[in-house]
Amino acid sequence: MLRKIVVGLLGALLLGTAAMAANEPVTIDFWHAMSSGHQPNLQALITAFQAEYPHITVTLTYQGSYSALQGKINAAVAAGNLPTMAQVYENWVTPIESILYPIGPHMTMMEVGDIVDGLVPSNTYNGVLTTVPFNKSIMVLYYNADLIATPPATWAEFYDLAKTLTVDTNGDGTIDRFGTGLRPAANPEQFLVYLDQAGGSILNADWTEVTINDAAGMAAIQFLGSLIPYTFVTSDYMSDHMAQVAMFIDTSAGYNYNKTAATNAGYALGVAMLPVGPASQSSMIQGTNLAVFNVPNQTQAQKDAAVLLARFLLRAENTVFWAMKSGYQPVTKSAYETQTWKDFVATNSYQQAMSAQMLLGFSQILHPNYGDMRTILSTKFDEIMRSATGALDGLNSMAEEIKPLLSE
Amino acid sequence: MRSRRSEVSYTARQRSYRLLLYVLMLVGCVIMLLPFFWMLTTSVKTEAGAMRMPPQWIPAKLHWENYAVAWGMAPFGRYFFNSFFVSITSTIGEVITTILAAYAFAKMRFFGKNVLFAILLGTLMIPGEMLLVPNYVTLTRLGWLDHYEALIIPWMVSVFGIFLLRQFFRSIPDELWDAARIDGCPRGRYLWRVVVPLSKPAVLTVALFKFLGSWNAYQWVLMMTNTESMRTVPVGLATFSSDIGTAYHLLMAASVMAILPILILFFFTQKQFIQGIARTGIK
Repeated sequence: MLRKIVVGLLGALLLGTAAMAANEPVTIDFWHAMSSGHQPNLQALITAFQAEYPHITVTLTYQGSYSALQGKINAAVAAGNLPTMAQVYENWVTPIESILYPIGPHMTMMEVGDIVDGLVPSNTYNGVLTTVPFNKSIMVLYYNADLIATPPATWAEFYDLAKTLTVDTNGDGTIDRFGTGLRPAANPEQFLVYLDQAGGSILNADWTEVTINDAAGMAAIQFLGSLIPYTFVTSDYMSDHMAQVAMFIDTSAGYNYNKTAATNAGYALGVAMLPVGPASQSSMIQGTNLAVFNVPNQTQAQKDAAVLLARFLLRAENTVFWAMKSGYQPVTKSAYETQTWKDFVATNSYQQAMSAQMLLGFSQILHPNYGDMRTILSTKFDEIMRSATGALDGLNSMAEEIKPLLSE
Repeated sequence: MRSRRSEVSYTARQRSYRLLLYVLMLVGCVIMLLPFFWMLTTSVKTEAGAMRMPPQWIPAKLHWENYAVAWGMAPFGRYFFNSFFVSITSTIGEVITTILAAYAFAKMRFFGKNVLFAILLGTLMIPGEMLLVPNYVTLTRLGWLDHYEALIIPWMVSVFGIFLLRQFFRSIPDELWDAARIDGCPRGRYLWRVVVPLSKPAVLTVALFKFLGSWNAYQWVLMMTNTESMRTVPVGLATFSSDIGTAYHLLMAASVMAILPILILFFFTQKQFIQGIARTGIK
């Protein structure tokens, strides 16, 4: 009996100590690149989190543009003063995968399974969910709704429409409106969408071979090559050239800018799912994830607190709040089933296409040299679309230049 | 009669030449001022108006509230204080170190002077971006991150400034130093009482460029600071842009506020500023 009492007392003492330790005040640093428009909404989420976990203080630090944030993270890796967590693109952290603190093992099976399917591979390292999605957008089709009654449903329809809508209105020999537009240098992911829809990929499944120029890749680039006469090519935001294009694929996050620009250009903006390709109607998901850093300057309590914040942000109501306020898309499946989101979609018709497209999304590969691969893709894709090189030559040249990156 | 006629035609030619010159200058002036005009008018447009193509030069309604909105979107009061403090202190620091180093390279004899100067000039060839990470690591080790030290001390020396002043100091005759020495004037006093006053335009040029550079510094400040209370105006301006677009109307309102101190400085130091540009060929 006495032994039971002693064991019971010891157990209570241990639990009490653990509980006290768990609730000890802890401060975590969260570096982000959300500019002033998004900051109040992010702050609102953080305030709600801190209300639920009063012992945790989150220091939000705006680090400028994405490239500035990347630069700062790289410098902080060298200096050994990384924050507890940060917003990161996949290719920023694949080279420093070993210093990421896996979030997945601290989540329930239900939470892990709730993440939108297309987002899981790009957050999974060696089979472990390591980072989690945060602000995500999907490429959709924007179109001039005054010109296009029914958006194109297939590649063939897209081609026909692009050709029809390319016009020289004043007959001066210069095209005044192109059927479509692309930003190949700035957004090579546009090519990856066509590649994926054709059933292709940059590399094979185990990253031992470059497959970008196989049959699917050739189909994708030939299709894009056929669109060259009807494509307005720019490095600027497409919203700066709305009057010059009839339809284009672009990130859902740019909706507000595109809508304002379309209104200025004198037409109503339509949003649709992408036309179906030979293999699928997939689209590429873009945007950042949340990473927690497993580095000596961060205590276990800080890492645990950061994991709690990551899980909090994944909750259906929070990812819905963030999506409604920011223009990004919810990142969990249950979020799309909430009444709040359904009501939001019902009152914002453009969201129907975005939501449906998001669930058919795919993400970038996690190869450590993806950053360099992307540079090659953007350079060559731009050359192809500006007719500086032939479509197939450009594609083969992409493959040749990517190949050495597999062994580096 | 002929000479009067040729005189008249000469005057007419001169007049037309001058007219052409004024027209060209006017065109140049318009081209130079157009971006400023666009900035001013965009600062009082709506978001949609700012993105209108072709640009709307004069908005139908002036939205002065953009200034209040822009001011409220970031702690600009603190940013302005920091910008002033950092720009003024680093300018003072740089002027002092530059004068001392330039004088040594121009007028003093010491072992390895030319080699040292060549090495110093060589550092100008290294792009600043390459040094960003090593400098970040160094300042982290020094514990200066997120402190004014990080924003001021590394910028208290300028190789370009040393080069500029050295060239100017070299043009001052050595006889002045000989005369000062005969009168018992130590080198320090000679430097500050004779050399620096004689080099006022060059020193002011260095100071002006430093102030401008410091006021406009963005990447360094962003890298070396983490808290809002340590950041400067250019960092505040960046908050109006994101990966998907820019709130031009607010950005321009904030930009107008940001350039005001520089404009005021320009009005007071116009002469030196123009002399400086003429002397260095830098804009």
